Amino acid sequence: MNRRLFLLSLPGLLGCSSGKTRRLNVFNWSDYVAPDTIPNFEKEFAVSIRYATYESNEEMLAKVMAGNSGWDVVFPSNYVILPMLENNLLAPLDHRRLAGGLDHLAKQFQAPSWDSDLKWCVPYMWGGTGIVYNRSVTPPPESWADLWSDRHGGRLTMLDDPAEVLAACLLKLGYSLNSTDPAELGQAKQEAIAQKQFLRAYLNAEVQDQLVAGDILTAQLWATTSALAMHGNTDLRFCYPREGFPLYADNAAILRESSQPELAHDFLEYLLRPEVAAEVAMKAETATANGAAIEKMPQRVRDNATLFPSDETLARGEWFAAMASEAQQLRDRLWTEIKSA
Amino acid sequence: MRALLKSYVAAAFVFLYLPLVVLAVFSFNDSRFTLWNGFSLRWYRAAWENSQLTHAAASSLIIAVCSTVFATTAGTLCAYGLWKRNTRRLTAALYLSLVTPEIVMGVAMLAFYQIVLAPMSAPLGMHTVIVSHITFSLAYVVVVVLARLRTLDPRLEEAALDLGANEWQAFRRVTLPLLLPGIAAASLLAFTISFDDYVITSLVAGVDSETLPMVIYAMARRGVRPEVNAVSAAIVVLLGGLALVSERLNRT
Amino acid sequence: MTRLRRWFLAPAAVILVLLYGVPLAIICAYSLFERGAYGGVETVFTPANFLRLADALYLTILLRSFLMAGAATLLCLVLAFPLSWFISHAGRRKHLYLALVVLPFWTSILICMYSWMFLLRDTGLLNTVLLELGWISQPLPLLYNYGAVLLGLVYNYLPFMVLPVYAALERLDPHLVEAASDLGAKPAATFRRVVWPLAAPGVRAGAVLVFIPCLGDYLTPDLLGGGRTIMVGNLIQNQFTAARNYPFGAAVSLALMSVVMLLLWRLLKREEEVLP
Repeated sequence: MNRRLFLLSLPGLLGCSSGKTRRLNVFNWSDYVAPDTIPNFEKEFAVSIRYATYESNEEMLAKVMAGNSGWDVVFPSNYVILPMLENNLLAPLDHRRLAGGLDHLAKQFQAPSWDSDLKWCVPYMWGGTGIVYNRSVTPPPESWADLWSDRHGGRLTMLDDPAEVLAACLLKLGYSLNSTDPAELGQAKQEAIAQKQFLRAYLNAEVQDQLVAGDILTAQLWATTSALAMHGNTDLRFCYPREGFPLYADNAAILRESSQPELAHDFLEYLLRPEVAAEVAMKAETATANGAAIEKMPQRVRDNATLFPSDETLARGEWFAAMASEAQQLRDRLWTEIKSA
Repeated sequence: MRALLKSYVAAAFVFLYLPLVVLAVFSFNDSRFTLWNGFSLRWYRAAWENSQLTHAAASSLIIAVCSTVFATTAGTLCAYGLWKRNTRRLTAALYLSLVTPEIVMGVAMLAFYQIVLAPMSAPLGMHTVIVSHITFSLAYVVVVVLARLRTLDPRLEEAALDLGANEWQAFRRVTLPLLLPGIAAASLLAFTISFDDYVITSLVAGVDSETLPMVIYAMARRGVRPEVNAVSAAIVVLLGGLALVSERLNRT
Repeated sequence: MTRLRRWFLAPAAVILVLLYGVPLAIICAYSLFERGAYGGVETVFTPANFLRLADALYLTILLRSFLMAGAATLLCLVLAFPLSWFISHAGRRKHLYLALVVLPFWTSILICMYSWMFLLRDTGLLNTVLLELGWISQPLPLLYNYGAVLLGLVYNYLPFMVLPVYAALERLDPHLVEAASDLGAKPAATFRRVVWPLAAPGVRAGAVLVFIPCLGDYLTPDLLGGGRTIMVGNLIQNQFTAARNYPFGAAVSLALMSVVMLLLWRLLKREEEVLP
């Protein structure tokens, strides 16, 4: 009997966490902070941070959708801000608590299209999707259309993401990547199916390792992951396709369910500090939305055309937009058809 | 003919063990790539120093122990009850839970927790993982213990009853001791299943309950990190050892 | 006797009803509701989800999953039968061999699959060895195709076939085989007319125990198939994550579960003895 009681009480003991230090639960994309970022915050504010990572917005949304996930701070991409607002998941930001940090943001992020007052989120890092390829591929790809060819010897991958694949197809056809027109999407689907004969697989960040090793020669990949891959293999190059390319921005946001709103605001303010943002951007090889941080970074980083494309390249980019329900369902069905073909 | 069969069996075992052996061998490779570069323990050291991995390992351990205790208790009692007299509906439900695809079970449980816990503002967490693990381990425990029970002579308990014991005493003092190897085997099985689980855990885990399979999956998705090899090899040895012990216990 | 027995059955029954039955009932309910505008569930009754299933696209996916699961089951049977035969005739070492067969299964499917990916890649071990030996001049595309998925499925579920077939073969009286050969039957005929019918219950049990999990597996096609193929498990997982369409995902899950229940019912009716 005693043994049984002891065992029964174990979960109760586990439930009692160390209630002394305040704790913030942060759920972020993988490889999106520098090694020092979290420990420095913990030291400065005398708190502890529970930090976990995810690989896709869907993964994050699946957890937070019901409103009792336990997370305080998450990093949604710009095109899921609207769905999250519709589901009442975000807490409004108190700008006074951010101590002027918002002024550090680059001009184009101070009133972005997805949240013009920055009432719900703070832009964090941004990037685009392009083509990373091995030098041995001839002639080198310059446009999405070049991915519909066997010059890659079948060692080509596309992202395992309906929005990205359909974007590449739509741009190849000359349409907007946010198109909701069933006819245009139908054509994009045909293109994607036609591409499968040249394609090895649909892979996300895990293709990085195969690019470095040489299993895969060409991949549709985000600029930041490509930059990481290029460190591992100097034969790799990156390009932003001629027809245009998708842009995304990941934003820091506080969940409505959070029990630590002040601490969450402190964390957001901390991330807005130029030195912190610069450190993250350099270690994670990603472009930051923090203009003041960019000024602090060495010139060679600012000149990195992969992460910081020139203004004329940037002009070809198009931000991902949130999709309404029917459009989302149509795209989802098309994705199933593409995968199933 | 026999020689052919023997070489076939040898080939079959090579097939079964190839990935595990390769994993173990390359976890000692002093290089990030497929080329052998010398023997080294650096990846084991790196894994040990990786706090995400060690936290996850600790979580996995706690979850596995808790769920094993409850699943074994409930499962053993259930198996005994079914041995005495079969209840078709309960047996059917048990087997159904055994063969339900993990993804279906996982999303069903997630939906259940979201509906039950959200009104109470209670988060997902270690408790939801433990409860889920108990649920899917239950059937395995019942099957193992029941198999063991079927090798016992029912007349032993009858004899005890004839000699004046009541049912509880007959169970506790006659059957239970004989059942211990089966119970031990079942609990080791439940532990392994729980420690190992990815699909259901990843769906119902909360903030505090990142388990080792979840971390391994996430790390491996971002590239074949050699630390993953090292951790995997260590787990293989641990769980393999447990499985072998379980098998020996089940035989006695 | 019955009172104690009911107490004994109670914890398991409560767990199953509350934590398995109720969640499944919720899934049933979801399948009849509508998807919310941005994900989530609106409590509006509609049969649309099931009607959507009747589409050729989803039926193709279901069919493909059946074919893959069927192929994996057949392959498992062919590979497992000689193995089970050997083990059942192995005398004292029987249990050791059984433990060795089961061991890889107990040590994490996920890890084994990553190992296979490591082995099958273009720069993986198998290709490197074959290239070094000069047997091939270009790496073989061993990964990210149906073959790799089939390999993964067979590897994961082989023990589920070995165990029941072994259980059936172990009870096979060796004298029957002797008698058949004494009466002049050749090995093939002995197999066909003595061994196979007696092993059949084990084979049937094994087939169901392999087929059902194969049907719902999504990790194997996801990891080893490179996202190129979509089976029922992937479809369900996709609906509950990326597509955020819980009602349709629930409908597909129920379709899958009904197949599972049907097969299980047939199995339980016939062979209770050979289940592990």
